[in-house]
Amino acid sequence: MKIQHLGRRSLLFFSSLLFVLYVMAPIGWLLSSSFQSEAEITSVPPHWLPHQPTTENFAAIFQAKDKVVTYENRKQGDSATGGYIPSTAKDLLPSMWNSLLVAIAVVILNLLVSVPAAYALAKIRFIGRTSSIYFMLTTRVIPDIALVVPFFLFVQKLGLLDNLLSLVITYLAITVPFSIFILTGYFESLPDELDKAARVDGCSRLQTLLLVYLPLALPSLVAVVLFTFLTSWNEFLLALMFTQTPASQTMPIVVASFTSDFTISFSFINAAGVLAIIPPVIIAILFERYIVSGLTAGAVKG
Amino acid sequence: MARIRFEGVGKQYPNGYVALKDLHLDIGDKEFLVLLGPSGCGKSTTLNMIAGLEDVSEGNLFFDSEVMNTVPPHKRDVAMVFQSYALYPNKSVYENIAFGLRMRKHPKDEIDKRVRDAARRLEIEPLLERRPDQLSGGQRQRVALGRAMVRKPSVFLMDEPLSNLDATLRISMRAEIKQLHQAMQTTFVYVTHDQAEALTLADRIVVMRNGLVQQIGTPDAIYEQPRNMFVASFLGNPAINLLEGHIAEENGRLRFKRGALNLNLSPHLTQLLAGQAGRAVVLGLRAEDVVMDGGQSDGEQLQGRILSVLPVGSDQFLEMEVEGSKLFFRVGKEGQYKVGEIATLKVNLNRLHLFDQKDSQSLAW
Repeated sequence: MKIQHLGRRSLLFFSSLLFVLYVMAPIGWLLSSSFQSEAEITSVPPHWLPHQPTTENFAAIFQAKDKVVTYENRKQGDSATGGYIPSTAKDLLPSMWNSLLVAIAVVILNLLVSVPAAYALAKIRFIGRTSSIYFMLTTRVIPDIALVVPFFLFVQKLGLLDNLLSLVITYLAITVPFSIFILTGYFESLPDELDKAARVDGCSRLQTLLLVYLPLALPSLVAVVLFTFLTSWNEFLLALMFTQTPASQTMPIVVASFTSDFTISFSFINAAGVLAIIPPVIIAILFERYIVSGLTAGAVKG
Repeated sequence: MARIRFEGVGKQYPNGYVALKDLHLDIGDKEFLVLLGPSGCGKSTTLNMIAGLEDVSEGNLFFDSEVMNTVPPHKRDVAMVFQSYALYPNKSVYENIAFGLRMRKHPKDEIDKRVRDAARRLEIEPLLERRPDQLSGGQRQRVALGRAMVRKPSVFLMDEPLSNLDATLRISMRAEIKQLHQAMQTTFVYVTHDQAEALTLADRIVVMRNGLVQQIGTPDAIYEQPRNMFVASFLGNPAINLLEGHIAEENGRLRFKRGALNLNLSPHLTQLLAGQAGRAVVLGLRAEDVVMDGGQSDGEQLQGRILSVLPVGSDQFLEMEVEGSKLFFRVGKEGQYKVGEIATLKVNLNRLHLFDQKDSQSLAW
């Protein structure tokens, strides 16, 4: 019995370990290679730990603009020595700022719209309630690529091409239905009697939502924030269509441009990759402690 | 200070379900009114309408002389206790009780005083800093009562507040709720499906079924003079015995007959049913309306074979087969009964209920 128990636990432990390794390996490689020189990255066999760790890749992002590759000097630098960085490198930091602005705007607007909508769908009975939920969900089964052309025409007519607003609007169209879906499910799981109790206690509908339901819905709010932030932070296709100049380009577009320049510097791209995952990681760490289960325990009997 | 009046109130849900039909009801100030009925009878809908949690689809709802149909709950002076207690899980007991007062912008020291007073009354003072999930069912129930009490509302609504408690606690809480009503001097409307709760608590009971009021009256009136078979069988434990038969006339007296069973009707019923011999009726006989024997005479005897004897401490229940039906009776525990024997009981003829076989309405009304 005891031995069986031990065997079961070690099996669980090793399979989880295997899974973690599988998930973490690419990130580990990204991190490791961002501290390696171009020569070291391309050396055979590849190795996990940098032999001569260097911060030059990061330095290149933050300051060195003189080593930019151009048409003229493209043949002087051997890409293996890492002497050159892509010509669009200077756009990386501004594009991250753009990404951040868009993501934050989308998160905030998304919450402003989806929280009241989800509360209404979950707690107020009205004609057309179920069909509106289904309708919103159907917008999510349409692949984004099918929406690109209508979105493009829409954005163009509004005169918002190459404007961050075009991204905010279209990302909201993508994320709001899903957020409403998540939140509606969560609000529905919170007892109706809580809603009634709050309203009899003197809350208007809005106060019921803000004072009673929102504190209880924190776990699902966090899920929505994470989902929305990551979706807009990572979004590539629409950004590629609607942005043309560094003024509005977002991080994924600029990072992608590094692979189509006169030279390809893996070390530099990997350093940019490391920077790109820092904001989502910070957000995940910040909100992780709010994802508390059992927050509703004790609301009703049981 | 509130008199609540329903005038032809109906409720239909968007999906077409009719929960309440043409309700006329006048609830007096400081009255303890109990809405009683099986689930789906419309009693909770009625309560929610008073609270403002459900719209009134037709008719008018008045508080005193004011039409309340569209007044939202936070603008009505009502407090409510829910079956599931509905405590705010993220707030302490203190904050749960204080919340309604805070929302109504009472001064801080007054809130504190009221919360502590209520907590003392309900004996939950040591629990004020706890959270609902750290409380037992009975304690949560008290917090829910406290939350409603501190508001000092003019209408106090309770939706099956005791049905999640265990049996002993339920009985002691009944007494407390009754005391609370006396202490608070305010209108109570109480919803339950438990007839014993209704009988102990109510000034008046409204028995409902399928969205329709069956009978309104004092507990005594409802128990003693049920208006139809539904009311008769919904109140009383064990349920009233119902026996089909017909009215016969013998020697100038009306009788209830079924096979060998032959019972004299009371003068009151005889008068009401004069000339209706032969009418098909249902006899209603409560379990306690018989005595063991003693001085039996023709027209008040009931004979049957004993199927089982169930002692319940204070007295005993007999399950008997009478004229092909199984009936339950309660008799004193002195009587010696054996399963399989034929027993003779004396029926209290003044307490017979007769109902029409077709529309199941009482014939005594």
